[in-house]
Amino acid sequence: MSDNLVEIEDLRIAFPREGGMTDAVRGVSLSLGREKLGIVGESGSGKSLTGRALLGVLPSYARVSVDKMMFDGIDLTTASPKLRRSLRGGRMGMILQDPKFSLNPVMRVGLQIVEAIRIGDKKLPKREAYSQALAILEAVHIRDPERVFSLYPHELSGGMGQRVMIAMMVVREPDLLIADEPTSALDVTVQTQVLSILDELVTRRGMGLIFISHDLRLVSRFCDRVIVMYAGQIVETIRADRLNEATHPYTRGLLACLPTIDGPLDPLPVLQRQASWLEARP
Amino acid sequence: MIKVDHLTVNFGPSVAVRDVSFSVAQGESFGLVGESGSGKSTILRTVMGLNPDWSGSIKIDGQDTKSTSRTDLARRVQMVFQDPYASLHPRYVIGHAIAEPMRINKMPNPEKRTLELLDLIGLGGQFRFRFPHELSGGQRQRVAIARALALNPKILLLDEPTSALDVSIQAEILNLLNQLRKELNLTFVIVSHDLAVISYMCDRLMVMRNAEAVETLSRSQLRSRDIAQSYTRELIAAS
Repeated sequence: MSDNLVEIEDLRIAFPREGGMTDAVRGVSLSLGREKLGIVGESGSGKSLTGRALLGVLPSYARVSVDKMMFDGIDLTTASPKLRRSLRGGRMGMILQDPKFSLNPVMRVGLQIVEAIRIGDKKLPKREAYSQALAILEAVHIRDPERVFSLYPHELSGGMGQRVMIAMMVVREPDLLIADEPTSALDVTVQTQVLSILDELVTRRGMGLIFISHDLRLVSRFCDRVIVMYAGQIVETIRADRLNEATHPYTRGLLACLPTIDGPLDPLPVLQRQASWLEARP
Repeated sequence: MIKVDHLTVNFGPSVAVRDVSFSVAQGESFGLVGESGSGKSTILRTVMGLNPDWSGSIKIDGQDTKSTSRTDLARRVQMVFQDPYASLHPRYVIGHAIAEPMRINKMPNPEKRTLELLDLIGLGGQFRFRFPHELSGGQRQRVAIARALALNPKILLLDEPTSALDVSIQAEILNLLNQLRKELNLTFVIVSHDLAVISYMCDRLMVMRNAEAVETLSRSQLRSRDIAQSYTRELIAAS
Protein backbone atom coordinates (compact mmCIF):
# COMPACT_ATOMS: atom_id res chain seq x y z
CA MET A 1 0.00 0.00 0.00
CA SER A 2 2.48 2.60 -1.15
CA ASP A 3 -0.17 4.89 -2.58
CA ASN A 4 -1.27 5.86 0.91
CA LEU A 5 -0.73 9.50 1.75
CA VAL A 6 -0.30 8.89 5.44
CA GLU A 7 0.60 5.79 7.36
CA ILE A 8 0.91 5.67 11.11
CA GLU A 9 1.71 2.56 13.08
CA ASP A 10 1.53 2.23 16.83
CA LEU A 11 1.67 5.89 17.77
CA ARG A 12 2.06 6.51 21.49
CA ILE A 13 2.10 9.88 23.22
CA ALA A 14 2.63 10.38 26.93
CA PHE A 15 2.93 13.42 29.15
CA PRO A 16 4.96 13.65 32.33
CA ARG A 17 2.76 14.10 35.37
CA GLU A 18 3.44 14.01 39.08
CA GLY A 19 4.60 10.51 39.88
CA GLY A 20 5.09 9.18 36.37
CA MET A 21 3.77 9.41 32.86
CA THR A 22 0.20 9.72 31.67
CA ASP A 23 -0.55 7.98 28.41
CA ALA A 24 -2.66 10.16 26.16
CA VAL A 25 -2.44 8.18 22.94
CA ARG A 26 -1.93 4.45 23.28
CA GLY A 27 -1.04 2.68 20.10
CA VAL A 28 -2.90 4.31 17.25
CA SER A 29 -2.40 2.98 13.74
CA LEU A 30 -4.09 4.46 10.71
CA SER A 31 -3.67 5.01 7.03
CA LEU A 32 -5.10 7.66 4.79
CA GLY A 33 -5.45 7.83 1.06
CA ARG A 34 -6.84 10.79 -0.84
CA GLU A 35 -10.07 10.59 1.08
CA LYS A 36 -11.96 12.20 3.90
CA LEU A 37 -11.24 10.50 7.19
CA GLY A 38 -13.11 11.46 10.33
CA ILE A 39 -11.69 11.00 13.82
CA VAL A 40 -14.35 11.11 16.50
CA GLY A 41 -14.11 10.95 20.25
CA GLU A 42 -14.69 12.87 23.44
CA SER A 43 -12.38 15.50 24.92
CA GLY A 44 -9.22 13.81 26.02
CA SER A 45 -9.55 10.80 23.73
CA GLY A 46 -6.33 11.76 21.94
CA LYS A 47 -7.82 12.72 18.58
CA SER A 48 -6.25 16.17 18.39
CA LEU A 49 -2.91 14.87 19.63
CA THR A 50 -2.86 12.33 16.82
CA GLY A 51 -3.32 15.12 14.29
CA ARG A 52 -0.69 17.25 15.93
CA ALA A 53 1.82 14.43 16.07
CA LEU A 54 1.47 14.04 12.33
CA LEU A 55 2.24 17.71 11.84
CA GLY A 56 5.00 17.63 14.44
CA VAL A 57 3.64 20.43 16.58
CA LEU A 58 3.41 18.68 19.93
CA PRO A 59 4.86 20.46 22.97
CA SER A 60 8.49 19.58 23.61
CA TYR A 61 7.75 17.77 26.88
CA ALA A 62 5.49 15.23 25.18
CA ARG A 63 7.05 11.79 24.83
CA VAL A 64 6.26 10.38 21.42
CA SER A 65 7.07 6.92 20.19
CA VAL A 66 5.93 5.51 16.90
CA ASP A 67 6.86 2.45 14.85
CA LYS A 68 6.20 4.08 11.53
CA MET A 69 4.96 7.48 10.46
CA MET A 70 5.06 8.08 6.72
CA PHE A 71 3.76 11.01 4.74
CA ASP A 72 3.73 10.51 0.98
CA GLY A 73 6.87 8.40 1.07
CA ILE A 74 8.70 10.63 3.55
CA ASP A 75 9.64 8.98 6.81
CA LEU A 76 8.60 11.53 9.41
CA THR A 77 10.32 9.70 12.26
CA THR A 78 13.76 10.43 10.82
CA ALA A 79 12.98 13.69 9.00
CA SER A 80 15.01 16.69 10.10
CA PRO A 81 13.20 19.54 11.88
CA LYS A 82 13.96 21.68 8.83
CA LEU A 83 12.28 19.25 6.46
CA ARG A 84 9.26 18.96 8.74
CA ARG A 85 9.09 22.73 8.95
CA SER A 86 8.96 22.93 5.17
CA LEU A 87 6.20 20.32 5.03
CA ARG A 88 4.00 22.24 7.44
CA GLY A 89 1.99 24.87 5.68
CA GLY A 90 3.26 23.72 2.31
CA ARG A 91 2.17 20.12 2.01
CA MET A 92 0.28 19.71 5.28
CA GLY A 93 -2.17 22.28 6.53
CA MET A 94 -4.15 22.52 9.72
CA ILE A 95 -7.41 24.31 10.41
CA LEU A 96 -8.05 25.02 14.05
CA GLN A 97 -11.26 25.28 15.98
CA ASP A 98 -11.59 28.94 16.70
CA PRO A 99 -10.57 31.61 14.19
CA LYS A 100 -10.70 34.20 16.98
CA PHE A 101 -7.63 32.71 18.62
CA SER A 102 -5.82 31.48 15.54
CA LEU A 103 -5.60 34.59 13.39
CA ASN A 104 -3.22 37.43 14.15
CA PRO A 105 -5.49 40.06 15.74
CA VAL A 106 -3.41 43.06 14.65
CA MET A 107 -2.91 42.17 11.00
CA ARG A 108 -5.37 42.57 8.14
CA VAL A 109 -6.59 39.12 7.15
CA GLY A 110 -5.66 39.55 3.50
CA LEU A 111 -2.06 40.28 4.45
CA GLN A 112 -2.03 37.14 6.59
CA ILE A 113 -2.96 35.13 3.53
CA VAL A 114 -0.31 36.95 1.48
CA GLU A 115 2.22 36.11 4.18
CA ALA A 116 1.30 32.45 3.96
CA ILE A 117 1.74 32.52 0.18
CA ARG A 118 5.08 34.29 0.28
CA ILE A 119 6.53 32.00 2.94
CA GLY A 120 5.96 29.21 0.46
CA ASP A 121 7.30 31.04 -2.56
CA LYS A 122 9.67 33.82 -1.59
CA LYS A 123 10.34 34.86 -5.19
CA LEU A 124 6.71 35.45 -6.02
CA PRO A 125 6.08 39.13 -6.85
CA LYS A 126 3.94 40.96 -4.35
CA ARG A 127 1.24 41.77 -6.84
CA GLU A 128 0.93 38.13 -7.85
CA ALA A 129 0.58 37.09 -4.20
CA TYR A 130 -2.12 39.71 -3.68
CA SER A 131 -4.16 38.49 -6.61
CA GLN A 132 -3.77 34.88 -5.43
CA ALA A 133 -5.04 35.89 -2.01
CA LEU A 134 -8.08 37.58 -3.52
CA ALA A 135 -8.75 34.56 -5.71
CA ILE A 136 -8.63 32.16 -2.78
CA LEU A 137 -10.97 34.36 -0.75
CA GLU A 138 -13.39 34.13 -3.62
CA ALA A 139 -12.91 30.37 -3.76
CA VAL A 140 -14.09 30.05 -0.15
CA HIS A 141 -17.26 31.91 -1.12
CA ILE A 142 -16.52 35.30 0.36
CA ARG A 143 -18.75 37.63 -1.58
CA ASP A 144 -16.72 40.81 -1.50
CA PRO A 145 -13.08 39.64 -1.30
CA GLU A 146 -11.56 43.09 -1.75
CA ARG A 147 -13.42 44.47 1.26
CA VAL A 148 -12.73 41.43 3.43
CA PHE A 149 -9.05 41.49 2.45
CA SER A 150 -8.50 44.69 4.39
CA LEU A 151 -10.51 43.78 7.50
CA TYR A 152 -9.06 42.81 10.86
CA PRO A 153 -10.04 39.47 12.44
CA HIS A 154 -12.28 41.14 15.06
CA GLU A 155 -14.36 42.65 12.26
CA LEU A 156 -15.23 39.20 10.91
CA SER A 157 -18.06 36.95 12.02
CA GLY A 158 -17.19 33.43 13.15
CA GLY A 159 -18.09 31.82 9.85
CA MET A 160 -16.22 34.43 7.87
CA GLY A 161 -13.14 34.03 10.08
CA GLN A 162 -13.22 30.28 9.64
CA ARG A 163 -13.40 30.72 5.87
CA VAL A 164 -10.37 33.01 5.99
CA MET A 165 -8.51 30.32 7.96
CA ILE A 166 -9.47 27.71 5.38
CA ALA A 167 -8.39 30.05 2.59
CA MET A 168 -5.03 30.55 4.27
CA MET A 169 -4.50 26.83 4.61
CA VAL A 170 -5.58 25.73 1.15
CA VAL A 171 -3.91 28.54 -0.79
CA ARG A 172 -0.64 26.59 -0.90
CA GLU A 173 -2.58 23.53 -2.08
CA PRO A 174 -1.43 21.08 0.57
CA ASP A 175 -1.76 17.35 -0.01
CA LEU A 176 -3.04 16.79 3.48
CA LEU A 177 -5.40 18.96 5.44
CA ILE A 178 -6.01 18.34 9.13
CA ALA A 179 -9.17 20.06 10.34
CA ASP A 180 -9.43 20.07 14.12
CA GLU A 181 -13.05 20.79 15.06
CA PRO A 182 -13.33 23.31 12.22
CA THR A 183 -17.02 23.97 12.69
CA SER A 184 -17.64 23.48 16.42
CA ALA A 185 -17.63 27.21 17.10
CA LEU A 186 -20.09 27.93 14.29
CA ASP A 187 -23.86 28.06 13.90
CA VAL A 188 -25.57 25.19 12.14
CA THR A 189 -26.39 27.18 9.01
CA VAL A 190 -22.83 28.48 8.71
CA GLN A 191 -21.53 25.02 9.54
CA THR A 192 -23.18 23.60 6.45
CA GLN A 193 -21.64 26.28 4.25
CA VAL A 194 -18.15 25.81 5.65
CA LEU A 195 -18.39 22.04 5.23
CA SER A 196 -19.50 22.29 1.64
CA ILE A 197 -16.58 24.63 0.90
CA LEU A 198 -14.17 22.16 2.49
CA ASP A 199 -15.75 19.32 0.57
CA GLU A 200 -15.47 21.18 -2.71
CA LEU A 201 -11.79 22.02 -2.14
CA VAL A 202 -10.84 18.56 -1.01
CA THR A 203 -12.62 16.86 -3.89
CA ARG A 204 -11.45 19.24 -6.58
CA ARG A 205 -7.82 19.40 -5.50
CA GLY A 206 -7.62 15.74 -4.51
CA MET A 207 -6.41 16.36 -0.97
CA GLY A 208 -6.46 13.95 1.90
CA LEU A 209 -8.49 15.29 4.79
CA ILE A 210 -8.42 14.32 8.44
CA PHE A 211 -11.51 15.75 10.07
CA ILE A 212 -11.38 15.76 13.86
CA SER A 213 -14.67 16.29 15.65
CA HIS A 214 -16.75 15.14 18.57
CA ASP A 215 -19.94 15.22 16.51
CA LEU A 216 -20.49 11.74 15.17
CA ARG A 217 -23.45 12.56 12.97
CA LEU A 218 -21.75 15.51 11.36
CA VAL A 219 -18.68 13.42 10.60
CA SER A 220 -20.71 10.58 9.18
CA ARG A 221 -22.49 12.90 6.76
CA PHE A 222 -19.27 14.47 5.61
CA CYS A 223 -16.50 11.86 5.64
CA ASP A 224 -15.82 8.60 3.82
CA ARG A 225 -14.47 6.67 6.78
CA VAL A 226 -14.73 7.28 10.51
CA ILE A 227 -12.30 6.30 13.23
CA VAL A 228 -13.76 6.29 16.73
CA MET A 229 -11.31 6.91 19.56
CA TYR A 230 -11.71 6.31 23.26
CA ALA A 231 -9.05 6.98 25.89
CA GLY A 232 -6.19 7.12 23.41
CA GLN A 233 -7.12 4.04 21.42
CA ILE A 234 -9.03 3.35 18.26
CA VAL A 235 -12.09 1.35 19.24
CA GLU A 236 -13.70 1.12 15.83
CA THR A 237 -13.12 2.04 12.19
CA ILE A 238 -16.19 2.12 10.07
CA ARG A 239 -17.42 3.37 6.72
CA ALA A 240 -19.38 6.54 7.26
CA ASP A 241 -22.48 5.30 5.49
CA ARG A 242 -22.47 2.17 7.65
CA LEU A 243 -22.34 4.10 10.90
CA ASN A 244 -25.69 2.75 11.98
CA GLU A 245 -24.20 -0.73 11.87
CA ALA A 246 -21.50 0.24 14.39
CA THR A 247 -20.86 -2.57 16.81
CA HIS A 248 -18.74 -1.11 19.58
CA PRO A 249 -20.87 -0.08 22.57
CA TYR A 250 -19.01 3.22 22.82
CA THR A 251 -19.88 4.20 19.24
CA ARG A 252 -23.46 3.12 19.77
CA GLY A 253 -23.60 5.07 23.01
CA LEU A 254 -22.31 8.21 21.30
CA LEU A 255 -24.97 7.84 18.60
CA ALA A 256 -27.78 7.23 21.06
CA CYS A 257 -27.09 10.11 23.41
CA LEU A 258 -27.82 12.79 20.82
CA PRO A 259 -31.28 14.31 20.94
CA THR A 260 -33.01 14.67 17.58
CA ILE A 261 -35.76 17.04 16.50
CA ASP A 262 -38.27 14.25 16.14
CA GLY A 263 -36.87 11.92 18.76
CA PRO A 264 -38.66 10.61 21.87
CA LEU A 265 -38.82 12.72 25.01
CA ASP A 266 -37.68 9.99 27.39
CA PRO A 267 -34.46 10.61 29.30
CA LEU A 268 -31.53 10.38 26.93
CA PRO A 269 -29.47 7.21 27.21
CA VAL A 270 -26.27 8.12 29.00
CA LEU A 271 -22.99 6.53 28.08
CA GLN A 272 -22.16 3.73 30.49
CA ARG A 273 -18.39 3.56 30.41
CA GLN A 274 -16.90 0.15 30.87
CA ALA A 275 -13.46 -0.62 32.14
CA SER A 276 -13.01 -3.23 29.41
CA TRP A 277 -12.90 -0.46 26.79
CA LEU A 278 -9.59 0.66 28.25
CA GLU A 279 -7.89 -2.68 27.71
CA ALA A 280 -5.41 -3.01 24.91
CA ARG A 281 -6.93 -4.41 21.78
CA PRO A 282 -5.24 -6.47 19.08
CA MET B 1 -44.69 33.59 34.95
CA ILE B 2 -42.57 35.61 32.52
CA LYS B 3 -44.16 38.18 30.27
CA VAL B 4 -42.03 40.15 27.85
CA ASP B 5 -43.73 42.88 25.84
CA HIS B 6 -42.28 44.91 22.99
CA LEU B 7 -38.74 44.46 24.24
CA THR B 8 -36.13 46.48 22.36
CA VAL B 9 -32.47 46.45 23.38
CA ASN B 10 -29.88 48.83 22.00
CA PHE B 11 -26.12 48.65 22.13
CA GLY B 12 -25.21 52.18 21.18
CA PRO B 13 -26.42 52.76 17.64
CA SER B 14 -27.09 49.09 16.87
CA VAL B 15 -30.28 47.28 17.79
CA ALA B 16 -29.72 43.87 19.36
CA VAL B 17 -33.39 43.00 19.98
CA ARG B 18 -36.24 44.68 18.13
CA ASP B 19 -39.81 44.66 19.45
CA VAL B 20 -39.92 41.09 20.78
CA SER B 21 -42.85 39.81 22.84
CA PHE B 22 -43.42 36.42 24.41
CA SER B 23 -44.72 34.87 27.59
CA VAL B 24 -43.80 31.75 29.48
CA ALA B 25 -46.25 29.94 31.74
CA GLN B 26 -45.47 28.54 35.18
CA GLY B 27 -43.61 25.24 34.87
CA GLU B 28 -43.15 25.59 31.14
CA SER B 29 -39.91 25.18 29.24
CA PHE B 30 -39.48 27.81 26.55
CA GLY B 31 -36.75 27.78 23.90
CA LEU B 32 -35.08 30.60 22.01
CA VAL B 33 -33.30 29.44 18.89
CA GLY B 34 -31.39 31.28 16.19
CA GLU B 35 -27.94 32.04 14.83
CA SER B 36 -25.19 33.92 16.67
CA GLY B 37 -26.06 37.58 16.85
CA SER B 38 -29.80 37.01 16.51
CA GLY B 39 -30.37 38.50 19.97
CA LYS B 40 -31.42 35.39 21.88
CA SER B 41 -28.78 35.64 24.60
CA THR B 42 -29.36 39.38 24.87
CA ILE B 43 -33.00 38.69 25.80
CA LEU B 44 -31.92 36.41 28.64
CA ARG B 45 -29.38 38.91 29.92
CA THR B 46 -31.95 41.68 29.81
CA VAL B 47 -34.51 39.62 31.76
CA MET B 48 -31.76 38.99 34.34
CA GLY B 49 -31.10 42.74 34.52
CA LEU B 50 -27.64 42.60 32.97
CA ASN B 51 -28.35 45.11 30.20
CA PRO B 52 -29.14 48.67 31.21
CA ASP B 53 -30.40 50.08 27.92
CA TRP B 54 -33.76 48.60 26.97
CA SER B 55 -37.37 49.59 26.48
CA GLY B 56 -40.64 47.69 26.68
CA SER B 57 -41.77 45.73 29.70
CA ILE B 58 -40.59 42.56 31.41
CA LYS B 59 -42.80 41.11 34.12
CA ILE B 60 -41.86 38.22 36.35
CA ASP B 61 -44.78 36.81 38.32
CA GLY B 62 -46.73 39.96 37.49
CA GLN B 63 -44.03 42.22 38.89
CA ASP B 64 -42.14 44.63 36.65
CA THR B 65 -38.39 43.90 36.73
CA LYS B 66 -37.64 47.62 36.56
CA SER B 67 -39.22 48.14 39.98
CA THR B 68 -37.75 44.95 41.47
CA SER B 69 -34.55 45.16 43.51
CA ARG B 70 -31.49 43.17 42.38
CA THR B 71 -31.59 40.78 45.30
CA ASP B 72 -35.31 40.23 44.96
CA LEU B 73 -34.91 39.50 41.26
CA ALA B 74 -32.02 37.13 41.98
CA ARG B 75 -34.25 35.10 44.30
CA ARG B 76 -36.80 34.60 41.56
CA VAL B 77 -34.60 34.23 38.48
CA GLN B 78 -31.16 32.70 38.07
CA MET B 79 -29.01 32.15 35.05
CA VAL B 80 -26.66 29.39 33.88
CA PHE B 81 -24.07 30.53 31.38
CA GLN B 82 -22.64 28.83 28.35
CA ASP B 83 -19.06 28.34 29.34
CA PRO B 84 -18.52 26.58 32.65
CA TYR B 85 -14.81 27.31 32.33
CA ALA B 86 -15.44 31.05 32.46
CA SER B 87 -18.41 31.31 34.81
CA LEU B 88 -16.87 29.87 37.99
CA HIS B 89 -14.36 31.79 40.07
CA PRO B 90 -11.05 29.98 39.52
CA ARG B 91 -9.77 30.58 43.04
CA TYR B 92 -12.89 29.69 45.01
CA VAL B 93 -13.44 26.09 45.96
CA ILE B 94 -16.79 25.11 44.54
CA GLY B 95 -18.47 24.89 47.94
CA HIS B 96 -17.65 28.56 48.37
CA ALA B 97 -18.92 29.41 44.88
CA ILE B 98 -22.24 27.66 45.51
CA ALA B 99 -22.69 29.22 48.97
CA GLU B 100 -21.88 32.76 47.88
CA PRO B 101 -25.37 33.75 46.67
CA MET B 102 -26.79 32.44 49.97
CA ARG B 103 -24.33 34.53 51.99
CA ILE B 104 -25.15 37.62 49.94
CA ASN B 105 -28.84 37.04 50.60
CA LYS B 106 -28.19 36.21 54.28
CA MET B 107 -29.87 32.85 54.09
CA PRO B 108 -29.52 30.55 57.10
CA ASN B 109 -27.31 27.47 57.03
CA PRO B 110 -25.49 27.96 53.72
CA GLU B 111 -23.09 25.07 54.43
CA LYS B 112 -25.84 22.54 54.95
CA ARG B 113 -27.69 23.70 51.87
CA THR B 114 -24.48 23.53 49.81
CA LEU B 115 -24.19 19.85 50.66
CA GLU B 116 -27.84 19.29 49.72
CA LEU B 117 -27.30 21.06 46.43
CA LEU B 118 -24.19 19.05 45.61
CA ASP B 119 -26.19 15.87 46.22
CA LEU B 120 -29.06 17.20 44.13
CA ILE B 121 -26.87 17.75 41.07
CA GLY B 122 -25.24 14.37 41.46
CA LEU B 123 -21.73 15.31 42.57
CA GLY B 124 -21.86 14.62 46.31
CA GLY B 125 -20.59 16.62 49.28
CA GLN B 126 -16.99 15.45 49.02
CA PHE B 127 -16.61 17.71 45.98
CA ARG B 128 -17.03 20.91 47.95
CA PHE B 129 -13.31 21.52 48.54
CA ARG B 130 -12.33 21.07 44.91
CA PHE B 131 -11.29 23.95 42.68
CA PRO B 132 -12.92 24.40 39.26
CA HIS B 133 -9.73 23.38 37.45
CA GLU B 134 -9.96 19.99 39.14
CA LEU B 135 -13.34 19.28 37.53
CA SER B 136 -14.33 18.27 34.02
CA GLY B 137 -16.51 20.52 31.88
CA GLY B 138 -19.66 18.55 32.66
CA GLN B 139 -18.97 18.64 36.40
CA ARG B 140 -18.38 22.39 36.24
CA GLN B 141 -21.68 22.91 34.48
CA ARG B 142 -23.34 20.89 37.27
CA VAL B 143 -21.73 23.25 39.80
CA ALA B 144 -23.02 26.27 37.85
CA ILE B 145 -26.52 24.74 37.98
CA ALA B 146 -26.20 24.12 41.74
CA ARG B 147 -25.16 27.74 42.28
CA ALA B 148 -28.12 28.92 40.23
CA LEU B 149 -30.46 26.81 42.37
CA ALA B 150 -28.99 28.02 45.68
CA LEU B 151 -31.59 30.74 46.21
CA ASN B 152 -34.54 28.49 45.34
CA PRO B 153 -35.48 30.47 42.22
CA LYS B 154 -38.66 29.68 40.32
CA ILE B 155 -37.10 30.41 36.95
CA LEU B 156 -33.84 29.27 35.41
CA LEU B 157 -32.45 31.06 32.38
CA LEU B 158 -30.10 28.72 30.51
CA ASP B 159 -27.79 30.27 27.94
CA GLU B 160 -26.46 27.46 25.70
CA PRO B 161 -26.05 25.20 28.73
CA THR B 162 -24.45 22.33 26.82
CA SER B 163 -22.78 23.76 23.74
CA ALA B 164 -19.34 23.81 25.36
CA LEU B 165 -19.65 20.14 26.32
CA ASP B 166 -19.08 16.80 24.61
CA VAL B 167 -22.19 15.11 23.21
CA SER B 168 -21.97 12.31 25.76
CA ILE B 169 -21.85 14.83 28.61
CA GLN B 170 -24.58 16.91 27.00
CA ALA B 171 -27.00 14.01 27.45
CA GLU B 172 -26.20 13.83 31.18
CA ILE B 173 -26.74 17.56 31.70
CA LEU B 174 -29.99 17.63 29.71
CA ASN B 175 -31.32 14.69 31.72
CA LEU B 176 -30.32 16.42 34.95
CA LEU B 177 -32.08 19.63 33.89
CA ASN B 178 -35.27 17.79 32.99
CA GLN B 179 -35.24 15.92 36.28
CA LEU B 180 -34.68 19.13 38.27
CA ARG B 181 -37.47 20.90 36.43
CA LYS B 182 -39.88 18.14 37.38
CA GLU B 183 -38.72 17.83 41.00
CA LEU B 184 -38.50 21.53 41.80
CA ASN B 185 -41.31 22.67 39.50
CA LEU B 186 -39.05 25.13 37.72
CA THR B 187 -39.73 27.29 34.69
CA PHE B 188 -37.00 27.20 32.04
CA VAL B 189 -36.01 29.57 29.28
CA ILE B 190 -33.34 27.86 27.20
CA VAL B 191 -31.22 29.54 24.53
CA SER B 192 -29.59 27.28 21.99
CA HIS B 193 -28.56 27.22 18.37
CA ASP B 194 -29.27 23.49 18.27
CA LEU B 195 -32.86 22.78 17.24
CA ALA B 196 -32.56 19.16 18.32
CA VAL B 197 -31.75 20.21 21.89
CA ILE B 198 -34.60 22.72 21.90
CA SER B 199 -37.06 20.20 20.50
CA TYR B 200 -36.03 17.72 23.17
CA MET B 201 -36.13 20.17 26.07
CA CYS B 202 -38.83 22.75 25.33
CA ASP B 203 -42.63 22.80 25.15
CA ARG B 204 -42.62 25.91 23.02
CA LEU B 205 -39.97 27.80 21.13
CA MET B 206 -39.35 31.09 19.42
CA VAL B 207 -37.15 31.33 16.34
CA MET B 208 -35.09 34.52 16.11
CA ARG B 209 -33.18 36.14 13.30
CA ASN B 210 -31.46 39.52 13.01
CA ALA B 211 -32.75 40.81 16.36
CA GLU B 212 -36.36 39.95 15.53
CA ALA B 213 -38.71 37.12 16.36
CA VAL B 214 -39.43 35.02 13.27
CA GLU B 215 -42.16 32.83 14.71
CA THR B 216 -43.28 31.00 17.83
CA LEU B 217 -44.03 27.29 17.61
CA SER B 218 -45.15 24.58 19.93
CA ARG B 219 -43.14 21.38 20.04
CA SER B 220 -45.87 19.50 18.21
CA GLN B 221 -45.96 22.15 15.49
CA LEU B 222 -42.21 21.80 15.09
CA ARG B 223 -42.43 18.03 14.96
CA SER B 224 -45.28 17.96 12.48
CA ARG B 225 -43.46 20.63 10.43
CA ASP B 226 -46.44 22.95 10.78
CA ILE B 227 -44.20 25.92 10.03
CA ALA B 228 -45.07 29.25 8.44
CA GLN B 229 -41.65 30.79 7.87
CA SER B 230 -39.09 29.61 5.35
CA TYR B 231 -36.22 30.58 7.66
CA THR B 232 -37.37 28.03 10.24
CA ARG B 233 -37.40 25.38 7.50
CA GLU B 234 -33.83 26.30 6.58
CA LEU B 235 -32.80 25.87 10.21
CA ILE B 236 -34.41 22.44 10.37
CA ALA B 237 -32.78 21.39 7.12
CA ALA B 238 -29.37 22.47 8.42
CA SER B 239 -29.60 20.51 11.65
